[in-house]
Amino acid sequence: MKHKTYDFYLMVLTAAVLAIIGLVCLYGIGYYTYTNETMPGWTETALYGQYINSMNQLIYPFVVLLLVTLGLCIPKRIVPRQSLLVSGIGILAVTLLIALVTDIGTSLAFLLAISIVVQAAVMVLTILGRGGLTYEREGYFVQTGSSMLHLGTVIFVLDFVSMRSSELHLGVFWVATVLITVGTVLSFYPDEVGCIARLLRPGGKSS
Amino acid sequence: MSYQEYLAARDTVTTIGQPVIYVIFIFSLALGIIAIYHMLSNDSRAFRLASQLREIDTALLVIGFIIIAWFHLRIYQTIELVYPPELANYMASTMGISTTPSRFVVPLWIETEKLYFWTLCLSIFLAVTNYRYDFIKTKITALFSSAMNIMLAAFGILTYYTSNPFREPLSSLHLEITGWYQAASVGDPNVLYATLYQLYFRIIYFYNSEYMWTHPPMLFIAYASLVVTFVGCVFMLFRREKIFDQISYSHAKVGYLLLTVGMLIGYPWAVVAWEGKDWWWDPKINGSIMMWVLYSAYLHTRIYHKRHNMWRATAILGIICFLSLVFTYLLTYIAPGIHAITQ
Repeated sequence: MKHKTYDFYLMVLTAAVLAIIGLVCLYGIGYYTYTNETMPGWTETALYGQYINSMNQLIYPFVVLLLVTLGLCIPKRIVPRQSLLVSGIGILAVTLLIALVTDIGTSLAFLLAISIVVQAAVMVLTILGRGGLTYEREGYFVQTGSSMLHLGTVIFVLDFVSMRSSELHLGVFWVATVLITVGTVLSFYPDEVGCIARLLRPGGKSS
Repeated sequence: MSYQEYLAARDTVTTIGQPVIYVIFIFSLALGIIAIYHMLSNDSRAFRLASQLREIDTALLVIGFIIIAWFHLRIYQTIELVYPPELANYMASTMGISTTPSRFVVPLWIETEKLYFWTLCLSIFLAVTNYRYDFIKTKITALFSSAMNIMLAAFGILTYYTSNPFREPLSSLHLEITGWYQAASVGDPNVLYATLYQLYFRIIYFYNSEYMWTHPPMLFIAYASLVVTFVGCVFMLFRREKIFDQISYSHAKVGYLLLTVGMLIGYPWAVVAWEGKDWWWDPKINGSIMMWVLYSAYLHTRIYHKRHNMWRATAILGIICFLSLVFTYLLTYIAPGIHAITQ
Protein backbone atom coordinates (compact mmCIF):
# COMPACT_ATOMS: atom_id res chain seq x y z
CA MET A 1 0.00 0.00 0.00
CA LYS A 2 1.33 3.43 -0.92
CA HIS A 3 2.00 5.99 1.83
CA LYS A 4 -0.78 8.29 0.62
CA THR A 5 -3.35 5.48 0.44
CA TYR A 6 -2.40 4.25 3.91
CA ASP A 7 -2.74 7.77 5.33
CA PHE A 8 -6.03 8.25 3.55
CA TYR A 9 -7.60 5.09 4.96
CA LEU A 10 -6.27 5.97 8.40
CA MET A 11 -8.05 9.32 8.09
CA VAL A 12 -11.27 7.59 6.95
CA LEU A 13 -11.05 5.26 9.96
CA THR A 14 -10.46 8.21 12.33
CA ALA A 15 -13.41 10.15 10.86
CA ALA A 16 -15.63 7.06 11.07
CA VAL A 17 -14.72 6.46 14.73
CA LEU A 18 -15.40 10.12 15.53
CA ALA A 19 -18.77 9.91 13.78
CA ILE A 20 -19.68 6.76 15.75
CA ILE A 21 -18.81 8.54 19.01
CA GLY A 22 -21.20 11.26 17.82
CA LEU A 23 -23.91 8.63 17.32
CA VAL A 24 -23.35 7.27 20.83
CA CYS A 25 -23.86 10.80 22.15
CA LEU A 26 -27.05 11.10 20.11
CA TYR A 27 -28.28 7.87 21.68
CA GLY A 28 -27.46 9.36 25.11
CA ILE A 29 -29.56 12.45 24.35
CA GLY A 30 -32.50 10.26 23.28
CA TYR A 31 -32.23 7.95 26.28
CA TYR A 32 -31.91 10.78 28.82
CA THR A 33 -34.82 12.74 27.33
CA TYR A 34 -37.10 9.71 26.98
CA THR A 35 -36.37 8.42 30.48
CA ASN A 36 -36.92 11.87 31.94
CA GLU A 37 -40.26 12.04 30.16
CA THR A 38 -41.46 8.64 31.37
CA MET A 39 -39.88 8.73 34.81
CA PRO A 40 -39.45 12.28 36.20
CA GLY A 41 -36.76 12.46 38.88
CA TRP A 42 -34.97 9.38 37.56
CA THR A 43 -31.56 11.02 38.04
CA GLU A 44 -32.14 10.64 41.78
CA THR A 45 -32.48 6.86 41.40
CA ALA A 46 -30.01 4.03 40.73
CA LEU A 47 -31.07 4.11 37.08
CA TYR A 48 -28.98 7.24 36.53
CA GLY A 49 -25.85 5.42 37.70
CA GLN A 50 -26.67 2.57 35.31
CA TYR A 51 -27.08 5.08 32.49
CA ILE A 52 -23.65 6.63 33.24
CA ASN A 53 -22.06 3.17 33.25
CA SER A 54 -23.76 2.12 30.03
CA MET A 55 -22.66 5.35 28.29
CA ASN A 56 -19.08 4.78 29.47
CA GLN A 57 -19.16 1.19 28.26
CA LEU A 58 -20.56 2.22 24.90
CA ILE A 59 -18.01 4.95 24.35
CA TYR A 60 -14.87 3.18 25.66
CA PRO A 61 -14.37 0.77 22.70
CA PHE A 62 -14.46 3.70 20.28
CA VAL A 63 -12.11 5.72 22.45
CA VAL A 64 -9.77 2.70 22.30
CA LEU A 65 -10.07 2.65 18.50
CA LEU A 66 -9.45 6.39 18.35
CA LEU A 67 -6.32 6.01 20.48
CA VAL A 68 -5.09 3.20 18.24
CA THR A 69 -5.60 5.33 15.12
CA LEU A 70 -3.79 8.22 16.82
CA GLY A 71 -0.99 5.81 17.69
CA LEU A 72 -0.80 4.63 14.09
CA CYS A 73 -1.08 8.11 12.64
CA ILE A 74 1.47 10.35 14.31
CA PRO A 75 4.56 8.18 14.85
CA LYS A 76 4.14 6.42 11.52
CA ARG A 77 7.41 7.70 10.14
CA ILE A 78 9.63 7.03 13.13
CA VAL A 79 8.92 3.32 13.06
CA PRO A 80 8.51 1.38 9.79
CA ARG A 81 4.82 1.07 8.94
CA GLN A 82 4.81 -2.71 9.09
CA SER A 83 6.33 -2.73 12.58
CA LEU A 84 3.92 -0.03 13.65
CA LEU A 85 0.93 -2.06 12.49
CA VAL A 86 2.23 -5.22 14.19
CA SER A 87 2.95 -3.39 17.45
CA GLY A 88 -0.44 -1.64 17.20
CA ILE A 89 -2.23 -4.96 16.88
CA GLY A 90 -0.10 -6.38 19.72
CA ILE A 91 -0.97 -3.50 22.04
CA LEU A 92 -4.64 -3.80 21.11
CA ALA A 93 -4.53 -7.54 21.91
CA VAL A 94 -2.94 -6.89 25.33
CA THR A 95 -5.57 -4.18 25.95
CA LEU A 96 -8.35 -6.65 25.16
CA LEU A 97 -6.73 -9.28 27.38
CA ILE A 98 -6.55 -6.86 30.30
CA ALA A 99 -10.20 -5.94 29.67
CA LEU A 100 -11.16 -9.61 29.87
CA VAL A 101 -9.08 -10.32 33.00
CA THR A 102 -9.84 -7.11 34.89
CA ASP A 103 -12.18 -4.43 33.51
CA ILE A 104 -12.42 -2.08 30.55
CA GLY A 105 -11.33 0.94 32.63
CA THR A 106 -8.00 -0.69 33.58
CA SER A 107 -7.35 -1.82 30.01
CA LEU A 108 -8.06 1.68 28.75
CA ALA A 109 -5.69 3.11 31.36
CA PHE A 110 -2.99 0.73 30.08
CA LEU A 111 -3.55 1.82 26.48
CA LEU A 112 -3.57 5.48 27.50
CA ALA A 113 -0.30 5.13 29.42
CA ILE A 114 1.38 3.62 26.34
CA SER A 115 -0.15 6.27 24.09
CA ILE A 116 1.12 9.07 26.32
CA VAL A 117 4.67 7.69 26.24
CA VAL A 118 4.56 7.38 22.42
CA GLN A 119 2.94 10.78 21.82
CA ALA A 120 5.28 12.50 24.31
CA ALA A 121 8.29 10.95 22.53
CA VAL A 122 6.91 12.13 19.20
CA MET A 123 6.37 15.63 20.56
CA VAL A 124 9.89 15.89 21.97
CA LEU A 125 11.42 14.54 18.72
CA THR A 126 9.33 16.97 16.69
CA ILE A 127 10.26 19.99 18.81
CA LEU A 128 13.93 19.00 18.62
CA GLY A 129 13.55 18.39 14.90
CA ARG A 130 14.91 14.84 15.15
CA GLY A 131 13.80 11.30 14.45
CA GLY A 132 13.12 11.65 10.74
CA LEU A 133 9.49 12.54 11.35
CA THR A 134 7.35 13.63 8.45
CA TYR A 135 3.72 14.63 8.57
CA GLU A 136 0.74 14.97 6.27
CA ARG A 137 1.33 18.71 6.29
CA GLU A 138 4.86 20.06 6.43
CA GLY A 139 6.31 22.90 8.47
CA TYR A 140 7.84 23.04 11.95
CA PHE A 141 4.89 24.74 13.66
CA VAL A 142 2.27 22.50 12.02
CA GLN A 143 4.15 19.39 13.09
CA THR A 144 4.83 20.63 16.62
CA GLY A 145 1.19 21.71 16.93
CA SER A 146 -0.08 18.38 15.65
CA SER A 147 2.05 16.40 18.12
CA MET A 148 1.01 18.68 21.03
CA LEU A 149 -2.65 18.39 20.06
CA HIS A 150 -2.53 14.61 19.95
CA LEU A 151 -0.59 14.35 23.23
CA GLY A 152 -3.07 16.73 24.86
CA THR A 153 -6.00 14.65 23.63
CA VAL A 154 -4.53 11.43 25.05
CA ILE A 155 -3.77 13.08 28.42
CA PHE A 156 -7.29 14.51 28.44
CA VAL A 157 -8.84 11.08 27.92
CA LEU A 158 -6.58 9.54 30.61
CA ASP A 159 -7.58 12.29 33.02
CA PHE A 160 -11.27 11.53 32.52
CA VAL A 161 -11.01 7.75 32.43
CA SER A 162 -8.60 7.11 35.29
CA MET A 163 -8.07 10.28 37.32
CA ARG A 164 -11.49 11.75 37.90
CA SER A 165 -11.38 11.20 41.65
CA SER A 166 -7.70 12.05 41.97
CA GLU A 167 -6.48 15.30 43.53
CA LEU A 168 -4.41 15.82 40.39
CA HIS A 169 -7.49 15.68 38.17
CA LEU A 170 -7.88 19.41 37.52
CA GLY A 171 -4.12 19.99 37.31
CA VAL A 172 -3.79 17.30 34.62
CA PHE A 173 -6.89 18.70 32.93
CA TRP A 174 -5.20 22.11 32.59
CA VAL A 175 -2.02 20.52 31.21
CA ALA A 176 -4.14 18.77 28.55
CA THR A 177 -6.10 21.96 27.85
CA VAL A 178 -2.94 24.02 27.33
CA LEU A 179 -1.45 21.34 25.04
CA ILE A 180 -4.66 21.07 23.01
CA THR A 181 -5.08 24.85 22.72
CA VAL A 182 -1.48 25.63 21.82
CA GLY A 183 -1.39 22.61 19.52
CA THR A 184 -4.52 23.74 17.69
CA VAL A 185 -3.23 27.30 17.29
CA LEU A 186 0.13 26.06 15.95
CA SER A 187 -1.54 23.60 13.55
CA PHE A 188 -4.08 26.08 12.23
CA TYR A 189 -2.02 29.25 12.09
CA PRO A 190 1.63 28.26 11.49
CA ASP A 191 2.42 31.28 9.31
CA GLU A 192 1.04 33.77 11.80
CA VAL A 193 2.82 32.05 14.71
CA GLY A 194 6.05 32.02 12.67
CA CYS A 195 5.68 35.73 12.03
CA ILE A 196 5.19 36.45 15.75
CA ALA A 197 8.13 34.17 16.63
CA ARG A 198 10.40 36.10 14.25
CA LEU A 199 9.24 39.41 15.74
CA LEU A 200 9.87 38.18 19.28
CA ARG A 201 13.34 36.87 18.47
CA PRO A 202 15.95 39.36 19.81
CA GLY A 203 16.77 41.69 16.96
CA GLY A 204 14.39 39.79 14.69
CA LYS A 205 11.86 41.19 12.30
CA SER A 206 9.08 39.79 10.23
CA SER A 207 10.06 38.66 6.79
CA MET B 1 -27.82 54.68 43.54
CA SER B 2 -30.89 52.58 44.18
CA TYR B 3 -33.50 50.17 42.97
CA GLN B 4 -35.50 53.08 41.52
CA GLU B 5 -32.55 54.07 39.36
CA TYR B 6 -32.18 50.48 38.23
CA LEU B 7 -35.86 50.43 37.22
CA ALA B 8 -35.41 53.72 35.34
CA ALA B 9 -32.42 52.24 33.47
CA ARG B 10 -34.49 49.18 32.59
CA ASP B 11 -37.28 51.39 31.25
CA THR B 12 -34.78 53.40 29.21
CA VAL B 13 -33.38 50.21 27.67
CA THR B 14 -36.86 49.17 26.61
CA THR B 15 -37.73 52.65 25.30
CA ILE B 16 -34.55 53.01 23.22
CA GLY B 17 -33.90 49.37 22.46
CA GLN B 18 -37.32 48.39 21.16
CA PRO B 19 -37.22 50.82 18.22
CA VAL B 20 -33.64 49.75 17.46
CA ILE B 21 -34.53 46.06 17.29
CA TYR B 22 -37.64 46.87 15.30
CA VAL B 23 -35.48 48.68 12.73
CA ILE B 24 -33.07 45.70 12.77
CA PHE B 25 -36.06 43.48 12.02
CA ILE B 26 -37.17 45.71 9.11
CA PHE B 27 -33.65 45.84 7.66
CA SER B 28 -33.22 42.08 8.11
CA LEU B 29 -36.49 41.47 6.33
CA ALA B 30 -35.50 43.80 3.48
CA LEU B 31 -32.04 42.21 3.34
CA GLY B 32 -33.57 38.75 3.05
CA ILE B 33 -35.99 39.80 0.30
CA ILE B 34 -33.31 41.65 -1.71
CA ALA B 35 -30.82 38.79 -1.31
CA ILE B 36 -33.40 36.24 -2.50
CA TYR B 37 -34.27 38.53 -5.41
CA HIS B 38 -30.58 38.74 -6.30
CA MET B 39 -30.23 34.97 -6.19
CA LEU B 40 -33.18 34.61 -8.57
CA SER B 41 -32.41 37.47 -10.95
CA ASN B 42 -28.66 37.95 -10.59
CA ASP B 43 -29.25 41.68 -10.78
CA SER B 44 -26.03 43.47 -9.74
CA ARG B 45 -28.02 46.45 -8.39
CA ALA B 46 -29.76 44.10 -5.98
CA PHE B 47 -26.35 42.77 -4.90
CA ARG B 48 -25.12 46.29 -4.10
CA LEU B 49 -28.33 47.20 -2.28
CA ALA B 50 -28.12 44.00 -0.22
CA SER B 51 -24.51 44.86 0.70
CA GLN B 52 -25.60 48.30 1.91
CA LEU B 53 -28.50 46.85 3.87
CA ARG B 54 -26.15 44.34 5.50
CA GLU B 55 -23.78 47.13 6.54
CA ILE B 56 -26.63 49.14 8.08
CA ASP B 57 -27.92 45.99 9.80
CA THR B 58 -24.46 45.39 11.30
CA ALA B 59 -24.24 49.00 12.49
CA LEU B 60 -27.68 48.71 14.11
CA LEU B 61 -26.72 45.46 15.82
CA VAL B 62 -23.62 47.17 17.24
CA ILE B 63 -25.79 50.07 18.50
CA GLY B 64 -28.16 47.56 20.13
CA PHE B 65 -25.22 45.85 21.79
CA ILE B 66 -23.96 49.17 23.16
CA ILE B 67 -27.42 49.73 24.70
CA ILE B 68 -27.23 46.25 26.28
CA ALA B 69 -23.74 47.00 27.62
CA TRP B 70 -24.96 50.31 29.07
CA PHE B 71 -27.81 48.52 30.86
CA HIS B 72 -25.40 46.00 32.35
CA LEU B 73 -23.19 48.86 33.53
CA ARG B 74 -26.20 50.51 35.17
CA ILE B 75 -27.04 47.24 36.95
CA TYR B 76 -23.51 47.20 38.31
CA GLN B 77 -23.74 50.82 39.43
CA THR B 78 -27.21 50.73 40.96
CA ILE B 79 -27.62 47.35 42.64
CA GLU B 80 -25.58 46.45 45.68
CA LEU B 81 -26.44 43.56 47.94
CA VAL B 82 -25.59 44.33 51.55
CA TYR B 83 -25.44 41.33 53.83
CA PRO B 84 -26.73 41.81 57.40
CA PRO B 85 -23.89 41.21 59.89
CA GLU B 86 -25.61 38.14 61.37
CA LEU B 87 -25.84 36.43 57.97
CA ALA B 88 -22.32 37.48 57.02
CA ASN B 89 -20.96 36.06 60.30
CA TYR B 90 -22.94 32.84 59.84
CA MET B 91 -21.63 32.30 56.28
CA ALA B 92 -18.09 33.16 57.33
CA SER B 93 -18.11 30.79 60.32
CA THR B 94 -19.90 27.82 58.74
CA MET B 95 -18.66 28.00 55.13
CA GLY B 96 -15.61 30.24 55.27
CA ILE B 97 -17.31 32.63 52.83
CA SER B 98 -16.45 36.31 52.87
CA THR B 99 -19.61 38.28 52.07
CA THR B 100 -18.46 41.74 51.20
CA PRO B 101 -21.28 43.78 49.60
CA SER B 102 -21.92 42.23 46.18
CA ARG B 103 -22.53 43.96 42.88
CA PHE B 104 -23.73 42.25 39.71
CA VAL B 105 -21.13 42.05 36.92
CA VAL B 106 -23.60 40.55 34.48
CA PRO B 107 -22.20 39.05 31.24
CA LEU B 108 -23.54 40.51 28.00
CA TRP B 109 -24.81 37.18 26.60
CA ILE B 110 -27.31 35.73 29.04
CA GLU B 111 -31.06 35.05 28.80
CA THR B 112 -32.53 36.59 25.60
CA GLU B 113 -29.21 38.29 24.78
CA LYS B 114 -27.70 34.97 23.62
CA LEU B 115 -29.19 34.85 20.14
CA TYR B 116 -28.67 38.60 19.75
CA PHE B 117 -24.96 38.19 20.48
CA TRP B 118 -24.72 35.27 18.04
CA THR B 119 -26.39 37.42 15.34
CA LEU B 120 -24.05 40.33 16.07
CA CYS B 121 -20.99 38.04 15.77
CA LEU B 122 -22.33 36.63 12.49
CA SER B 123 -22.81 40.12 11.06
CA ILE B 124 -19.21 40.98 11.96
CA PHE B 125 -17.90 37.77 10.34
CA LEU B 126 -19.85 38.61 7.18
CA ALA B 127 -18.48 42.16 7.18
CA VAL B 128 -14.91 40.82 7.43
CA THR B 129 -15.50 38.15 4.77
CA ASN B 130 -17.04 40.68 2.38
CA TYR B 131 -14.09 42.99 3.00
CA ARG B 132 -11.56 40.24 2.28
CA TYR B 133 -13.16 38.73 -0.83
CA ASP B 134 -14.42 40.43 -3.96
CA PHE B 135 -17.68 38.49 -4.24
CA ILE B 136 -19.14 40.50 -7.10
CA LYS B 137 -16.34 39.30 -9.42
CA THR B 138 -18.18 36.16 -10.52
CA LYS B 139 -21.81 35.14 -10.61
CA ILE B 140 -21.40 32.18 -8.28
CA THR B 141 -19.48 34.12 -5.60
CA ALA B 142 -22.10 36.87 -5.73
CA LEU B 143 -24.73 34.19 -5.10
CA PHE B 144 -22.63 32.92 -2.19
CA SER B 145 -22.57 36.41 -0.68
CA SER B 146 -26.35 36.63 -1.05
CA ALA B 147 -26.77 33.24 0.64
CA MET B 148 -24.77 34.55 3.62
CA ASN B 149 -26.96 37.67 3.65
CA ILE B 150 -30.05 35.44 3.77
CA MET B 151 -28.59 33.65 6.81
CA LEU B 152 -27.98 36.99 8.56
CA ALA B 153 -31.51 38.12 7.68
CA ALA B 154 -32.92 34.87 9.11
CA PHE B 155 -30.95 35.40 12.33
CA GLY B 156 -32.16 39.01 12.60
CA ILE B 157 -35.80 38.00 12.15
CA LEU B 158 -35.47 35.06 14.56
CA THR B 159 -33.90 37.31 17.19
CA TYR B 160 -36.76 39.79 16.91
CA TYR B 161 -39.45 37.15 17.28
CA THR B 162 -37.93 34.62 19.68
CA SER B 163 -35.16 36.33 21.62
CA ASN B 164 -35.73 40.08 21.76
CA PRO B 165 -33.43 41.35 24.54
CA PHE B 166 -35.27 44.68 24.81
CA ARG B 167 -38.85 43.45 25.31
CA GLU B 168 -38.34 42.24 28.90
CA PRO B 169 -34.67 42.98 29.57
CA LEU B 170 -33.04 40.22 31.65
CA SER B 171 -36.35 39.03 33.06
CA SER B 172 -34.90 36.31 35.34
CA LEU B 173 -32.30 38.62 36.83
CA HIS B 174 -35.00 41.27 37.25
CA LEU B 175 -37.11 38.82 39.24
CA GLU B 176 -34.14 38.01 41.48
CA ILE B 177 -33.30 41.66 42.11
CA THR B 178 -36.95 42.54 42.73
CA GLY B 179 -37.28 39.52 45.03
CA TRP B 180 -34.37 40.75 47.11
CA TYR B 181 -35.78 44.28 47.45
CA GLN B 182 -39.19 42.87 48.39
CA ALA B 183 -37.59 40.59 50.97
CA ALA B 184 -35.67 43.56 52.40
CA SER B 185 -38.85 45.65 52.63
CA VAL B 186 -40.87 42.91 54.39
CA GLY B 187 -38.48 43.06 57.34
CA ASP B 188 -38.57 39.31 58.07
CA PRO B 189 -34.91 38.34 58.59
CA ASN B 190 -35.56 34.70 57.68
CA VAL B 191 -36.97 35.64 54.26
CA LEU B 192 -34.15 38.12 53.68
CA TYR B 193 -31.48 35.60 54.71
CA ALA B 194 -32.92 32.92 52.44
CA THR B 195 -33.06 35.30 49.47
CA LEU B 196 -29.57 36.69 50.02
CA TYR B 197 -28.11 33.25 50.63
CA GLN B 198 -29.49 32.03 47.28
CA LEU B 199 -28.42 35.21 45.44
CA TYR B 200 -24.90 34.96 46.82
CA PHE B 201 -24.32 31.66 45.02
CA ARG B 202 -26.01 32.93 41.84
CA ILE B 203 -23.61 35.87 41.82
CA ILE B 204 -20.51 33.81 42.55
CA TYR B 205 -21.19 30.88 40.22
CA PHE B 206 -23.19 32.56 37.48
CA TYR B 207 -23.40 36.32 37.07
CA ASN B 208 -19.92 37.33 38.27
CA SER B 209 -18.18 34.11 37.31
CA GLU B 210 -15.14 34.39 34.99
CA TYR B 211 -16.53 31.29 33.33
CA MET B 212 -19.66 33.15 32.18
CA TRP B 213 -17.44 35.86 30.73
CA THR B 214 -15.39 33.37 28.71
CA HIS B 215 -17.23 30.08 28.01
CA PRO B 216 -20.47 31.39 26.37
CA PRO B 217 -18.93 34.18 24.23
CA MET B 218 -16.29 31.80 22.88
CA LEU B 219 -19.04 29.37 21.89
CA PHE B 220 -21.21 32.06 20.29
CA ILE B 221 -18.30 33.48 18.29
CA ALA B 222 -17.51 29.89 17.23
CA TYR B 223 -21.14 29.30 16.25
CA ALA B 224 -21.17 32.49 14.16
CA SER B 225 -17.99 31.46 12.38
CA LEU B 226 -19.39 28.00 11.72
CA VAL B 227 -22.49 29.50 10.06
CA VAL B 228 -20.15 30.78 7.35
CA THR B 229 -18.57 27.31 7.11
CA PHE B 230 -22.04 25.87 6.62
CA VAL B 231 -22.92 28.24 3.74
CA GLY B 232 -19.55 27.47 2.13
CA CYS B 233 -20.20 23.72 2.40
CA VAL B 234 -23.65 24.07 0.80
CA PHE B 235 -22.05 25.86 -2.15
CA MET B 236 -19.31 23.22 -2.33
CA LEU B 237 -22.06 20.71 -3.11
CA PHE B 238 -23.03 22.62 -6.25
CA ARG B 239 -19.76 23.98 -7.54
CA ARG B 240 -16.13 22.89 -7.18
CA GLU B 241 -14.74 26.40 -6.59
CA LYS B 242 -11.63 26.78 -4.45
CA ILE B 243 -12.97 29.91 -2.76
CA PHE B 244 -15.84 28.00 -1.09
CA ASP B 245 -13.48 25.52 0.48
CA GLN B 246 -11.11 28.33 1.45
CA ILE B 247 -13.85 30.32 3.23
CA SER B 248 -15.36 27.20 4.83
CA TYR B 249 -12.03 25.98 6.12
CA SER B 250 -10.75 29.33 7.41
CA HIS B 251 -13.99 29.83 9.37
CA ALA B 252 -14.01 26.21 10.55
CA LYS B 253 -10.54 26.77 12.02
CA VAL B 254 -11.67 29.82 14.00
CA GLY B 255 -14.87 28.03 15.05
CA TYR B 256 -13.16 24.80 16.05
CA LEU B 257 -10.46 26.53 18.09
CA LEU B 258 -12.99 28.59 20.05
CA LEU B 259 -15.36 25.63 20.36
CA THR B 260 -12.60 23.46 21.81
CA VAL B 261 -11.24 26.04 24.25
CA GLY B 262 -14.73 27.27 25.15
CA MET B 263 -15.95 23.77 25.94
CA LEU B 264 -12.82 22.88 27.90
CA ILE B 265 -12.83 25.91 30.17
CA GLY B 266 -16.43 25.17 31.12
CA TYR B 267 -15.34 21.96 32.83
CA PRO B 268 -13.46 23.24 35.94
CA TRP B 269 -16.37 25.58 36.62
CA ALA B 270 -18.88 22.72 36.32
CA VAL B 271 -16.89 20.58 38.77
CA VAL B 272 -17.19 23.27 41.45
CA ALA B 273 -20.58 24.83 40.69
CA TRP B 274 -22.41 21.55 40.04
CA GLU B 275 -20.78 19.55 42.82
CA GLY B 276 -23.17 16.82 43.92
CA LYS B 277 -25.52 17.42 40.99
CA ASP B 278 -26.28 14.96 38.22
CA TRP B 279 -24.68 16.38 35.10
CA TRP B 280 -22.58 13.56 33.60
CA TRP B 281 -23.84 12.61 30.16
CA ASP B 282 -26.47 15.36 30.36
CA PRO B 283 -28.13 15.97 26.92
CA LYS B 284 -26.35 19.29 26.36
CA ILE B 285 -22.99 17.71 27.18
CA ASN B 286 -23.77 14.79 24.88
CA GLY B 287 -24.73 17.28 22.17
CA SER B 288 -21.57 19.34 22.64
CA ILE B 289 -19.35 16.24 22.42
CA MET B 290 -21.27 15.09 19.34
CA MET B 291 -20.81 18.49 17.67
CA TRP B 292 -17.11 18.58 18.55
CA VAL B 293 -16.32 15.08 17.27
CA LEU B 294 -18.22 15.79 14.04
CA TYR B 295 -16.22 18.98 13.45
CA SER B 296 -13.05 17.00 14.23
CA ALA B 297 -14.12 14.50 11.55
CA TYR B 298 -14.79 17.37 9.12
CA LEU B 299 -11.30 18.80 9.66
CA HIS B 300 -9.79 15.33 9.10
CA THR B 301 -11.68 14.70 5.85
CA ARG B 302 -10.90 18.22 4.66
CA ILE B 303 -7.18 17.31 4.50
CA TYR B 304 -8.06 15.10 1.50
CA HIS B 305 -10.71 17.34 -0.08
CA LYS B 306 -8.88 17.33 -3.43
CA ARG B 307 -9.13 13.57 -3.70
CA HIS B 308 -11.81 11.89 -5.78
CA ASN B 309 -15.23 12.14 -4.10
CA MET B 310 -13.76 13.76 -0.98
CA TRP B 311 -14.84 17.25 -2.03
CA ARG B 312 -18.50 16.26 -1.83
CA ALA B 313 -17.98 14.11 1.30
CA THR B 314 -16.30 17.05 3.08
CA ALA B 315 -19.16 19.37 2.08
CA ILE B 316 -21.82 16.93 3.30
CA LEU B 317 -20.00 16.43 6.58
CA GLY B 318 -19.74 20.21 7.02
CA ILE B 319 -23.50 20.49 6.59
CA ILE B 320 -24.15 17.65 9.07
CA CYS B 321 -21.83 19.40 11.54
CA PHE B 322 -23.89 22.57 11.33
CA LEU B 323 -27.14 20.66 11.83
CA SER B 324 -25.61 19.14 14.97
CA LEU B 325 -24.61 22.65 16.10
CA VAL B 326 -28.17 23.97 15.75
CA PHE B 327 -29.49 20.85 17.48
CA THR B 328 -27.01 21.30 20.36
CA TYR B 329 -27.99 24.96 20.76
CA LEU B 330 -31.68 24.03 20.85
CA LEU B 331 -31.09 21.28 23.43
CA THR B 332 -31.00 23.98 26.12
CA TYR B 333 -34.63 24.73 25.27
CA ILE B 334 -36.03 21.32 24.31
CA ALA B 335 -34.21 18.72 26.41
CA PRO B 336 -34.09 18.14 30.17
CA GLY B 337 -30.90 18.23 32.22
CA ILE B 338 -28.79 20.70 34.12
CA HIS B 339 -28.31 22.97 31.11
CA ALA B 340 -32.06 23.20 30.47
CA ILE B 341 -33.45 26.72 30.46
CA THR B 342 -36.02 25.71 33.08
CA GLN B 343 -33.34 24.72 35.62
